[in-house]
Amino acid sequence: MSDSSPLRSFARLGAFALVPATMVLLLVWWTSVDSTDGTLVRFTNALLTSFTFVSFILLMTLFVYGDARKRPLAPLLGMLMSVLLGVAMTVYFLSQGELLMEDNGSVRAQALSNLIRLGTTVIGIGLAAMVVAGILFASLMNAPPRAILFEEE
Amino acid sequence: MEEATQAFVFFWLAGLCVVLGAMLAFFSKVHWQRRLGTTLFGAGFLSLVLTPWTLSFSPSSAFGHLLGSLVGPAVLLGVGLYQIAFSGNVPVGRLSRTDRNVGVAMVVVGVLWLEAMHWWVLTPTYPSEVNRYWYIFWPTMLLGVLAFSSAGYAVVGLVGEERQQEQRLMLVSGTLAVVLLLMGSLFDGPNVQHQRFASELLLAAADIFGAIVGAAVAVLLFAVVLAFYEAQQPVPQRLDPPSKDQLEQASQIIAQHVGGETEDE
Repeated sequence: MSDSSPLRSFARLGAFALVPATMVLLLVWWTSVDSTDGTLVRFTNALLTSFTFVSFILLMTLFVYGDARKRPLAPLLGMLMSVLLGVAMTVYFLSQGELLMEDNGSVRAQALSNLIRLGTTVIGIGLAAMVVAGILFASLMNAPPRAILFEEE
Repeated sequence: MEEATQAFVFFWLAGLCVVLGAMLAFFSKVHWQRRLGTTLFGAGFLSLVLTPWTLSFSPSSAFGHLLGSLVGPAVLLGVGLYQIAFSGNVPVGRLSRTDRNVGVAMVVVGVLWLEAMHWWVLTPTYPSEVNRYWYIFWPTMLLGVLAFSSAGYAVVGLVGEERQQEQRLMLVSGTLAVVLLLMGSLFDGPNVQHQRFASELLLAAADIFGAIVGAAVAVLLFAVVLAFYEAQQPVPQRLDPPSKDQLEQASQIIAQHVGGETEDE
């Protein structure tokens, strides 16, 4: 195991995960993309949808937490805070103009479209994780067994 | 049934069943709840996959069509990697060498199938043009493979010793993803133009980044709620340090067990 500090290891891990993908994106942008219109809209919609969806899932865990730790108000506080933050973010992004709307005719259609897109992104990321973890695990399991050498006393 | 009701039942309710079913199946400790979760997940998934027939009037059915198109390669990759992994050095339930070869063949066919969906005529087409969710899925998956492979390379280097083979594999999968991303952005496929792929790649990156930031904000928010309540919990009662008699008794018990004498002696 490496002797570097946890913070340095974490930073190294983050850099390894982000830098190659960023480099490829920059290269593609430089060589093949004429316009980046719509990128900010997609980012904003993905942010709001993901926030809402993950809050919904975490809220269920807060019910379990409130029950286990005798804190019945915890889910209510969580709900209140997530609603306030969600509303604040939505109002901020809406105040920037027609930012949240894409090709859809109504807000409801846009919200449903965002949810399906989030589902597609989750499936893509999930399949990628399955493939990479599967390759790594298969290789580890097929490595020759190692003998543990004890030093003589 | 009205179209809106049909869409609600066969798509949105089915999607809710998939999410709730997956959560129940993964997190519940009660057997019947896990089984119920699996059943809900299966029924919801089936309903989503059947939407091109049940909801042919709705644009959302393109998502069901994409799901159906991905079942084949996903099953091949998942089962194939499982077969390869469990034909290795596992102490119990080791699979045979034939299973391993079948697993390798399944992985190769799965990868080729996915490639053929971009570079050959197998591109998911619904109803008469390329499925719009394919444009989101494929760049997202390639970016995910690249990011996970490079992170895996770093993790193996950090926590493992003499794991050069695993690092090489991570390098190969990451490089393959880079090559596919660049090729898709520079050359046309039979159904996907390179400019479209390149712009969809940037949009997919925006989607991933937005989803990560949104999820992180939600987790942070709920962490604040937990920290708020945990800070109100009374401090646990501290025990007095052990007395001399207790220490002596403990040392006697330890000496009895680590002195090297057996019961026969």
